[in-house]
Formats: sequence, C-alpha cells, structure tokens
Amino acid sequence: MLPWLHEYGGTLLVSVLLLSGLAAIAAKLLRDRKRGQSSCGCGCGNCPMAEACHPGKKNEP
Amino acid sequence: MDIRIALAGNPNSGKTTLFNALTGSNQFVGNWPGVTVEKKEGRLRFREGVTVTDLPGIYSLSPYTPEEVVARRYLAEERPDAILNIVDGTNLERNLYLTTQLTELGIPVVVAVNMMDAVEKSGDRIDSAALAKRLGCPVVEISALKGRGVAEAAEAAMAAAREGKAPPPFPYSGAVEHALAHIEEAAVHHLPGAQQRWYAVKLFERDQRVQEALGLTAEQIAHIETDIAAVEEAMDDDAESIITAERYGCITGWMSECCRKSAPGALSLSDRIDRVVTHRLWGLPIFAVVMFLVYSVSMMGVGAAATDWANESLFGEGFYLFGLENCWVSGVPVWFERLLDALHVADSGVGAVIRGVVLDGIVAGVGAVLGFVPQMLVLFFMLAFLEACGYMARIAFVLDRVFRKFGLSGKSFIPMLIGTGCGIPGIMASRTIENERDRRMTVMTTTFIPCGAKVPFIAMIAGAIFHGGAWVTTLAYFTGMAAIIVSGIILKKTRLFAGDVAPFVMELPAYRLPTLPNLLRSAWERGWSFIRKAGTIILLSTVLVWFASSFGFTGEGFRMLEEEELHLSLLSALGSAVCGLFAPLGWGNWQAVVASVTGLIAKENIVSTMGVLYGGEGNVYTALAESFTAASALSFLVFNLLCAPCFAAIGAIRREMNSARWTWFAVGYQCVFAYAVALMVYQFGCLLTTGAHPLGLAAAVIVLAGLLCLLLRPAKRAGRKEGEDAAMAA
Repeated sequence: MLPWLHEYGGTLLVSVLLLSGLAAIAAKLLRDRKRGQSSCGCGCGNCPMAEACHPGKKNEP
Repeated sequence: MDIRIALAGNPNSGKTTLFNALTGSNQFVGNWPGVTVEKKEGRLRFREGVTVTDLPGIYSLSPYTPEEVVARRYLAEERPDAILNIVDGTNLERNLYLTTQLTELGIPVVVAVNMMDAVEKSGDRIDSAALAKRLGCPVVEISALKGRGVAEAAEAAMAAAREGKAPPPFPYSGAVEHALAHIEEAAVHHLPGAQQRWYAVKLFERDQRVQEALGLTAEQIAHIETDIAAVEEAMDDDAESIITAERYGCITGWMSECCRKSAPGALSLSDRIDRVVTHRLWGLPIFAVVMFLVYSVSMMGVGAAATDWANESLFGEGFYLFGLENCWVSGVPVWFERLLDALHVADSGVGAVIRGVVLDGIVAGVGAVLGFVPQMLVLFFMLAFLEACGYMARIAFVLDRVFRKFGLSGKSFIPMLIGTGCGIPGIMASRTIENERDRRMTVMTTTFIPCGAKVPFIAMIAGAIFHGGAWVTTLAYFTGMAAIIVSGIILKKTRLFAGDVAPFVMELPAYRLPTLPNLLRSAWERGWSFIRKAGTIILLSTVLVWFASSFGFTGEGFRMLEEEELHLSLLSALGSAVCGLFAPLGWGNWQAVVASVTGLIAKENIVSTMGVLYGGEGNVYTALAESFTAASALSFLVFNLLCAPCFAAIGAIRREMNSARWTWFAVGYQCVFAYAVALMVYQFGCLLTTGAHPLGLAAAVIVLAGLLCLLLRPAKRAGRKEGEDAAMAA
C-alpha cells in the first residue's frame, strides 16, 4: 500500500485538488449566472449601472 | 424606527461622493454628469437603522429624462423621511431651482452646500444662515470630497426626519397661488395635505404623468384647464414658463442677498482651459495626443516595464530579487513544476495529463493573461484620472460636434466612455438616450471601443509584432471610434435608424484635481475584477482549450498527443473546419481562429488561448511573430476588436434590445462589419508591404466600393418606422 501511495499519492492528490477546484469555479459561475450576475469585467462597485443588475441590494458599510 | 434619507441634487453636484462618505460604500464617482443612472441604497455608517438612497442627478422634477423619472418616482411615491439636497456651491443659482421643487413635496429637506472648499478658494462667500431663513430649512456647508461637514449634514437630515416638519412651500405670485388653490380643491383634495402642493403645481404645468397617476377624469382636467388658461392669459406666457420664471425670479433675489462673488463675470480656470481643449479645431487633435500619451505611458512606459517583468521573469524562468546576484527567485511555472516533482506526479499516464493541465494549460494560459495586469492597472489609473478631472466630459462635448454631423448624438459618448472599462455597463448606460433608434444604434456600436478585456490582446499583438508600439493601442482606440462614426453614417441612412439627431445638452463640470485614493481605488477595482476573472472563467477556459488541443484521434485511437502532433487535436479539427473563411483576412490558421472563438467567452481568452497554443517550449511572442505578418496581425487585431463582444455583453445587448431579432441583427452587423474592415486592412496592407493576392485585393476593392456606396448614398426618410420597429421586435 505504502509504495503505491508513494508512487501515485501525489498524482491522486493533485487530481482531486484540480478537479474540485475546477468544479468549484464552474459551480460559482453557474451560481452567479442564476443570481443574474454576469462575467462583467468592470466590478460592480465600479459600475454606474450596478443597481440595474442588483436591484435593492444594500451597500453595507 | 428606520429612517430613510434620499440624496437629491443636480448632476455632478457630488451626491455619490457624499453617499460613499456617508455609507462607506464604494460606488463609482465620476466628474461628468449622469454617472448615477439608477438609485443606489446604503446604510449610514456608525448609525443603526438609517438608510441612505443616492438618486440620479436631476435638474428638475419634470419627467423628461429617465434619471428624472427614477428620482421623481422615488421622491413622490416612496416618500423618504427626509431629503438631503446637495447643491453645488460653485453654481448655487441653478442648483437652487431643484431645491424650490423639493420643498414642495411636503418632505423635510436639509440643504447641503457642497464644494465649499472650491467656493472659499475662489474668494466667493455664501451666507448659509440667510439662505436657510429664505428656504425655511436647515443649510449645512460641506465638502464631500474632503469629508468636511458630512457628519453634520447627516445629523441634520436625521433630526429633520425625526421632527417630520416640511419646509414652507415656495411662494408664487397671487394669480398662480389662486389657480393652485383651485386645483387643490378640484383635483387633489383627497391627498394628505403635505402632498397636495406638489401635485397641484404639476397639474398646473399640465404634467400628463401626474394626471394619469391621479386618474383624473376628462371633466376634472377641463375644469383645471380653465384656471390654468386664465393665468396664462393674464401673465401672457405658458404655464410651465410662468412657474419657471417665478422660481428663477425668486432665486435671483435670494442670490443677491446670500451670495457674494469675488469677481463677477471673470473667467474661471476651467473656462480658460476649456477655451483650448474644447476648441473647434484643436479639440480633437488634443484628444488624440492625450490618448496617445495615455497609451504610451501605460503600454510602453511604466506599464510595459512591469508587464515585461511579469511575463519574462515572474511567469518565465525567474528573476534576481532586488537585482541581487545571490538571490535568484524562480518563476511561477518553475514553482509549479517543482511542486509536481515533489509530489511525485508521474510523467506518463494520468500524471502526464495533470502536468499538462497545470503547466501548459493553467500556468501558461492564465499566466499569459495575468502578465498584463501591470499595464492594465496603469491604463485604468490614467483613464480614471481623465474621467475624474473632468476632461472626458469635454470630449463628449467635442465629439458631439463630430458625431452630430454623422447622425449620432454626443450622448452616445457616455456609454462609450463607460465602455472603456467594460462593455456591459456601457451598453446599459445607453438607457439615458431617450430616442429609441439612437439608443439601439448606440447599443450596437458601443462595444467597438476597446474595453479593458480587449487591452491584453491588443498589447500582445503590439508587443509581439510591433515592438510594443503605443501607436498600436492608440490606433485600436481610434479604430473603434471611427467604426462607431462609420456605422452611425451607414445605419442612419437606413429606414430602421433614420431620424433627427437627439439634442445633447451637458453641463461641463469644473476641472478638479482627483484625490489619489479615489484614482487608486478605481484602478484597483477594475484591475481586481480582471484578476478575479483570470482565476475563474479564464482558468476554466484554458483547461478546456488545453484538453481540446492536447487530445485527438490518431491511428492508435483517441489519445493524448505529443507536441508535434498538435495538428491532430480536436481543436485543430474544429478550427481547420472554419479557418478557410478567415484566410482572406491573413490569419487562416486554426490557432488564430480558435483564439478568436474563445474570445467570445471572454476577450481575455484570446491571450490565454494564444498562451496555450503558441506557448510550447518557446516564447509566445516569438511564435506569434513567426505566425503573423504586420498586415495579418493588424487584420487579426481589427477583427477581434470590432466583432461580436463576449457572451456576457451579448446578453446585455439582448436585455437592452429586448428582442432576439434585434440582438441577432446587432451581433450579425458587428461580425460582418469586422470581417469587411479586417479584409481591407489585410489586403491593402499586403499591397503596401509584401504584395497582394489579386483575388483578395479584388474582394477588398469591392468591399471598399460597397462601403463607400453605403456611406455616400442619400439618406432615407424616417418613414414606416413604427411598423418596421415592431417587425424587428417581434
């Protein structure tokens, strides 16, 4: 078992990290899309039209 | 109990700056009118239960512009507990016109005279106590930019809200007061007493929206009309002008009592600068020089040095920390390679795939994009400076002269200005254009201006093919602008867009020296969004691009390919199927076509895809220089600059057009226009440099002739418009 882990453990670990990272990114993009947020490159805080995308969203201090 | 305070005032009077100071939020502040199009809400800092609403800038409570409609609806229908009216102290007389209207709403009002630092600097004096006495409400002197008097203004607004006492309404002359009393009795008697005055004045002005909102019958309207007509006859003017004249007459009296100018009639520094930068002849050349300087500094100066370091050292082999020869720091790809080695990730099987995804996909692709962050930050900083100091507002004025000749209004420049950061809010900002045809045309053409996401690929082409020449990025900016003008001429001559140009009235704000924290915040906001995007959608795209370019069908079946087998990849197969279409543009290789297609997901993907496909063992720039000639590189740049924007921006076009057919028309027009221009650029470029292909040159000549025909043909009359608009919207 140990030799197998030594040989393939790293590959397995990086694979899991990579796949979970990619899945998390995909989930975030889907979640943003459902919330009506786009992949807009300006940043909402910097956008004069932010309220049009996120009506009623309070800007907490 | 929750207190709701509304910030109301003229455009560019500093409402958003005050809003940020009160709420600690980070809303976009710009030194040009119309920055705030929608209302924004925030919680007052250090105070529980106080909501502050930032309303769009308005000159009056008339329903003529979308901003006025938003502000008026909120004030009249949602009725906040208090209004904090921001007035520009350097332009008090005009700002007080709105104040006279706000005091009629029956809501407690506190007037905050902003920009007092500028007032004091100019030597002018404002007697706040006398003004407060005249208006019948508290007046606070503030400087939102410096944070002076901000807390006092908030306290005064909260006190006014708790007290609930509205200021006395503006006093009109006897005849008008008589008519207003009649109108109140006849039409608005059922409303609460505090609200009757405003509705009566609006009915006197024959405001149709108010008539509809109150559900007046034809008899009631006719009854009111006799009162209005009697006043109009007696005062020999129309009702709206009578109200306006009475307000201004009264304000002029207040001004002589409460305000003392140090040098009446003297030209201010802003006026003197404007004489040069908005000059009929020099205005445009000065703008061209300014933009060239901006791109020179960001693309060649500070930005280029930092980007070169990022690309060649940080995302390359490595660098000597602080130049110390005994302190070598390896580059990011080396860190990842060592990490994979340390974890014993194999060189074959699954391990090889993992290594490929991480090193040749993510690190090469995302690294290629992130390398441009320094240049982007410098560019965003300089653009933020131009916006915040007030220069960009002048450009809208200068360009209005040019745009107007070609059927576009200067109002179209505001979306373009916002579009330099990102096309999506630029498209959405077209809402401020009242004329539906002009608005649609602006939506279709705004994305021609290079947004922040397009800058990396423009910089990449400039760096790889043109030795980092700043003229390339400046050329891209002005190509975008020329494309808007040419499209304006072509489209305005069609029945779908024909019509008179909407008038463009814009107040030129005083020049202000922006604060460094504001500029840094603006640049960082945009830069951080760029970095965040690199870590999400671009990263995901690079993995897919790497996978599709590293796997393919060979004689041995579907497998991972060696570097020299890229032509067998899935991506190669897909790209090769359509690359013939782009051969007349000079870049009919599958890598360039695939990069353009991935650019539809996000324009930064063009760079990341190039990083993956051209990265290999060598330098991306060297590989690009071998694949492109000067003409084909310019053609590639122009096509990707002008063709359909990213999917997110297409979604914004769909929302603003509110029609699938109009959206397809917009995207189709952009792609066909981009193809035509890129074809001419390449074919005529070849003619001037390496020699042209007869067939390609003939095609370019035909396209040029067609374009000239469209530009020079007589304009269509604006007939059948409703029918055609309806057909497109269906």
